[in-house]
Amino acid sequence: MYSYSIRTLDELKEFLHRAMQLEHATIPPYLTALYSIKPGVNQDATQVLRVIVVEEMLHLTIAANILNAIGGTPDLTRPDFAASYPASLPDGETDFKVSIQAFSREALATFLKIERPAQRPKHLAGKGLIQRKTPANTTALGSHPRHEDLHFYSIGEFYSAIAEGIEYLEAEAYRQGTTIFTGDRSRQITPEYYYSGGGTLFPVTDWKSALEAIALIIEQGEGDGGDIYDNDEHELAHYYRFEELVKGRYYQKGDQPGHPTGPQLQVDWEGAYPIKPNLKVAEIPEGSELREAATAFNARYGEFLQLLTRAYNGQPSLLLEAVPIMFEFRNTILELIRNPLPNHPGMNGSPTYEIPGSTKQAAPTRQSEVIA
Amino acid sequence: MSSRFEAFLGISVELTAFSRFDLLGTGLAERYLATLDKVVGGEITDTLLAAFVALPPAEGEARIQAVRTTILGNELLGDVARALIKLWYSGTWFELPCAWTERFGPRPADTTFIVSPDAYVEGLLWKAIGAHPAGAKAPGFGSWAFPPKIPALPELVSKA
Repeated sequence: MYSYSIRTLDELKEFLHRAMQLEHATIPPYLTALYSIKPGVNQDATQVLRVIVVEEMLHLTIAANILNAIGGTPDLTRPDFAASYPASLPDGETDFKVSIQAFSREALATFLKIERPAQRPKHLAGKGLIQRKTPANTTALGSHPRHEDLHFYSIGEFYSAIAEGIEYLEAEAYRQGTTIFTGDRSRQITPEYYYSGGGTLFPVTDWKSALEAIALIIEQGEGDGGDIYDNDEHELAHYYRFEELVKGRYYQKGDQPGHPTGPQLQVDWEGAYPIKPNLKVAEIPEGSELREAATAFNARYGEFLQLLTRAYNGQPSLLLEAVPIMFEFRNTILELIRNPLPNHPGMNGSPTYEIPGSTKQAAPTRQSEVIA
Repeated sequence: MSSRFEAFLGISVELTAFSRFDLLGTGLAERYLATLDKVVGGEITDTLLAAFVALPPAEGEARIQAVRTTILGNELLGDVARALIKLWYSGTWFELPCAWTERFGPRPADTTFIVSPDAYVEGLLWKAIGAHPAGAKAPGFGSWAFPPKIPALPELVSKA
């Protein structure tokens, strides 16, 4: 039992909202890096990024399933949902910034940090959350609703808090002859809506399936308790897939973490369009076609989040409409990334993911309310 | 961007009716200019670009007339401009007509060829008809249940 443990159902719902936010927040950086790759090169990297980004979409949906299972209301249109980049994420005793940037060694270093398996060292075991070092006005992903100025040791720890919260609250409910899993089953997103990625989508209806869902998210990201593969031994965890690109070699069965011994793979670190990291619409000249296209993309992305919200709130079949929109995003992102950025010689444009109606960070206000 | 490349983009916008953003978005503009240089030579390319730069600036009927007479209707430039339109739309350079070759002499590189694998994928024709190139840029499971998305026609500058 820690000071940061989840004690109420409302708190658990808020954590799951933040889990959805976190899973979603990995998608823009991965997608941008993926589509920054020039045609004809980096096919291995393209494949790795594509699979991972699809699995992040699975994780987003799984988090929505858990939230729905406990009677929550997924809302991807909440003003604090879409992250502002660079956004901060916990990485052990410090936190780091996740940026929208081109495929590069630097981008890969960040992606490794996102997925890194991390256990607290002995001297921190059992201690509380860690003081944030990034300014309060940046989006803090995986943060604690009651402690916005602090962060978890790792994303794994954030999810463990959720898992423990589910177990604690369900045990409490059980003692009173009830359950926290009161959600309408028809709101669950089921496997027919997920394809082309690893892992499976399943309905969450009780604590067992909820904990399985959390285990899937953690294992696909960082592996199963120090193992490079997920629980089923089928799939290499995201961290180790990114590591393959950095090390230029594939993992194979029996390999130890950090020491892939499979076939070599080629990465062309120059084989990506040079985009300006964390570009904002305000940096693109007014009246330019690029600005118009970047703005239109953001508006469309906002509509897409509205559509997903409706899909996660009892209309799963709307996900079928979401599919072509995602492919449309691919085409638009490619165009944005291939267009030169006016007044920035040698730099190209990029999607900015500034979603209309989302605030930079609602957290500081809420934090002061909590303290007051 | 060099003024030569700017002129190439300008004439390409004029001839294809797609925007600069769309054309640059294919990632192929530089390669198409290089294709023109390779096939018909720098001199004819420069003549084509000069004809574009010399067009009357006023938007309207006079300019459209001038495009017809000084570029599309020009014996030397017309077929080259038409090949450039086809290049943007299909990613393929189509061999110039016999009449052109007989009049101006054969060019060794003037055969029908696809510029690159991505040139096929990025052909404007797919965008123009709201479809996708077979075997690439898949639009996703179930997308066939929705009507094709055809881009709005650019605002016609002609006041006529």
